[in-house]
Amino acid sequence: MIPPVVLVLGLAMKSLYVLDYVHVLTGASWTGFDLYTGLVLSRVLRSLEIPARVEVAKRLTPTTFFIIPSLAAVAITSGIYLAQAMGKFNLADPWILAAGAIVVVLTVQGFGVFLPNGVRIFLELAKVKPDPGLISKLTMRNVRLAASQAVFQVLIILVMAHLAVY
Amino acid sequence: MNTSALVAILVFAAALLSVFGVLYRMATRSHARGELGYDGIVILRWALLGQLAIFAILTLTAFLS
Repeated sequence: MIPPVVLVLGLAMKSLYVLDYVHVLTGASWTGFDLYTGLVLSRVLRSLEIPARVEVAKRLTPTTFFIIPSLAAVAITSGIYLAQAMGKFNLADPWILAAGAIVVVLTVQGFGVFLPNGVRIFLELAKVKPDPGLISKLTMRNVRLAASQAVFQVLIILVMAHLAVY
Repeated sequence: MNTSALVAILVFAAALLSVFGVLYRMATRSHARGELGYDGIVILRWALLGQLAIFAILTLTAFLS
């Protein structure tokens, strides 16, 4: 809940500095999480037996369930406000269009697959007889998705670096 | 007020609510079959409330920019 509140404060203060800070911090945290999950945690989980994966899912899913959507929503929203405030939000600019296209992919993946999968893991864990195979399958799907998100995150940082310099 | 931002946030929230609607229906059916305890429904409601709170705060930003 902290990132959206800080975004509101930045906008209320009309501070480009705070807006930039919120955008970079949330974007970097989101990217860092995806890189870590996709490159490090995926290897660890693959080496574990299904019951051990379920134990990891029990602890990992609740933590990521609110943090990631909050970071993603704030990084995207603050990015649009920042581009508008800096006079760079020109929809004829191919770099802005590239950023928009990557954001659409990340949003559809995150809110259309990652989040519902997280809810399904939660619900499966709450069942009288949870299905360890399903929990493991959904967790591994989210981990693989994080790896794919990491690739798009690296691409969007390339676009952001161009927009910041030129 | 930033109208385009407001519309984008509302569309985004509507899409999220429709996803949650499907999951909620799945959960209530599962509860009716006796597979899912009432705790699962409560967790889902809290999750929905949390997501709605995030979007409510983001909606506020459209009036500040």
